[in-house]
Amino acid sequence: MIQLEPVELKKERRLAITWSITFLILFPLLITLGLLMRLNQGEIIKLPINDFYALMTLHGLGMVGVLFSIAYAGLWYLISTRYRRLNIKIGYFAYFFVVIGVLCLAFGTLIGGFAPGWYLLYPLPFKGATWTVWSTRLSIVSLIIMGIGWLVGILHLLYGLAKEYGGFFNLLGWQYLGKKKVERELPPIVMISTVSLVPGVIAFLAGAVFLIMYLLQSFEPALSFNVLLMKNITMFFGHTLANIIIYSALGWVYALLPEFTGREWKTNKVLVYSWSATFLFILFAFFHHMYMDFAQPIGIQYAGQIISYLSAVPATVVTMFGVITQLYHSKVKWGIVPLTFLIGTAGWAIGGGAAVVDSTISMNSVLHNTLWVPAHFHTYLLMGALLFIFGFLFYLFTEKGNQDGGKLAKTGFWLFALGGHGFLATFYFGGLSSVPRRYADYSGIEIKSVHETGMHLAQISIWLISLLVIGLFIMYFSLFSKLCRKKLKAIPAKENE
Amino acid sequence: MNAFIPLLILQDYAVIISMAVGVLVVAVVIFLMTSSSIDEDKDSAKHKTYKMRGRYFFGLIIFLVICTFVSLRFLPYHRFQNKPEEEVTVVGMQWSWKMAPGVSDKSPGEFTGSNEISLPANKGIEFIVTSADVNHAFGIYNSKGVLLAQTQAMPGYHNKLQYEFAQKGDYHILCMEYCGLAHSFMMGTIHVN
Repeated sequence: MIQLEPVELKKERRLAITWSITFLILFPLLITLGLLMRLNQGEIIKLPINDFYALMTLHGLGMVGVLFSIAYAGLWYLISTRYRRLNIKIGYFAYFFVVIGVLCLAFGTLIGGFAPGWYLLYPLPFKGATWTVWSTRLSIVSLIIMGIGWLVGILHLLYGLAKEYGGFFNLLGWQYLGKKKVERELPPIVMISTVSLVPGVIAFLAGAVFLIMYLLQSFEPALSFNVLLMKNITMFFGHTLANIIIYSALGWVYALLPEFTGREWKTNKVLVYSWSATFLFILFAFFHHMYMDFAQPIGIQYAGQIISYLSAVPATVVTMFGVITQLYHSKVKWGIVPLTFLIGTAGWAIGGGAAVVDSTISMNSVLHNTLWVPAHFHTYLLMGALLFIFGFLFYLFTEKGNQDGGKLAKTGFWLFALGGHGFLATFYFGGLSSVPRRYADYSGIEIKSVHETGMHLAQISIWLISLLVIGLFIMYFSLFSKLCRKKLKAIPAKENE
Repeated sequence: MNAFIPLLILQDYAVIISMAVGVLVVAVVIFLMTSSSIDEDKDSAKHKTYKMRGRYFFGLIIFLVICTFVSLRFLPYHRFQNKPEEEVTVVGMQWSWKMAPGVSDKSPGEFTGSNEISLPANKGIEFIVTSADVNHAFGIYNSKGVLLAQTQAMPGYHNKLQYEFAQKGDYHILCMEYCGLAHSFMMGTIHVN
């Protein structure tokens, strides 16, 4: 552990709170886009079709972007205040690049009508596009800007850690696998940061390749790229980015949960094997997005299923059992932080289970691109990663030793969890009822049962999203009141100085 | 795959597995929350959970191995052991389907066909699916609204989807891959006689 001067600590806190407040502003705005989409699918409002898909594009790209940003920011804060000093200017550089990218993307989608979905599946942005050419170019550039911000921040963080712990392989914990006694303990959060962020770097580089190809295509329409290759690159980029959100956030769980249970959570051989395997699974699990592309070589399809199945092993056997070991008969006080970590882990498990079902090739043939897909990834993002995020925010915004959260925070939390799981249930039922995803509404479907099921489930989901939003704002109120209280307490302390 | 259909449809297996996972997770959460007031020595608690972890690990591995071997026998790629009895060319384009019997030698842009086609029941049909512009996906639904099979329609590739219609009636084609403005209106019909 490093000891920071109070001034340095304050600077790092300010950066973390800047990221957090930006997240807390953007997140409900992006939820609003999702709510508008469900209102349209429920045929309660009638959005122009291109507006629906522009909102869908911003909702998807925006959510993954802000969730990853706060996940990365949380790792940055915990690492910079405990294990390795990081350059705060680089921290702000990344922040401003991401904010500029988000603003440009919002402009491209909301004003320019850019609407090819989060995955910009080639060649959709260039063929039959109903949006402006400038919005395509601006949105691509905005993604590149965000990518540069993240990449610079991540590389600085990884470089610093590698220097601190004597090389990259030490960050993976491989020194624990030899017979020699380990000289310096490796905190699990450092290993998890590496396992999450290195695939992130590779994904951003892959993303840069396809986005530059897209830019070239937008200026030279005669160009043509192989659609299967482009889809593989896109899915590698998108799946990896979405995947490492939860893994990055898990780093905090490993670091913070022991503070509440009083039980150590140290790196050992099992943990190292588990996270090294996870490293590979993060890189190759994206194959399961390609099962219905029958042109993909069959060996890769087999690999997709086997890798996806295997990814359940370290996740449940090591990390989830790790959480159980932390909490079992621990006499933990169920404050908001351990509560969010436990229920978040449960959400991750449920979403992960649904993901494993969908990663079974034969199942995928009847679930792919139905509402089952948003069901499973919303589960582990909304009811998994997001709960970890709130756990972290309550930890960050409140004084040490006083992080119970209070009744208000817990009331908000349970309303949020109840509304969230209820809302997700409408997605699961939709998937099981073969309701397709990415439909502006279901009125064009000639099969009455699919049309009506899709519409009614969307209508029901509005109530559940409303419950979720009420819970969210109660948590917001609790969070900000804690932040203000903390600042007010700091003022007399300053005056005494 | 057809061997399973008389018992349950694939979506039912998804319900069973997901419900089982959900119930297990909720049970663990309730157990942890209700029993956490007990104060147990951390080494003793660790010993108990690690013992459970070992059993869970072997159980999970056995479960995944069984699921792998069973599920990989029912892949959607080459369902027929023999040659298909009928072939149908399918071209997706923004925003309609074109279908015609036989294997077309025309480019997808020049292909002419209809968004309706009549096909025989209980015969092995091979749909040769491609696209004239962007990615689409050819999803076959029965009249009850159950998704039966699908494949991507990709420009530059011909994906072969083999399917045997067990019952007569009307089947519907929906686009399963977002393809732009009128994606949700891209429909077709198969009349099975």
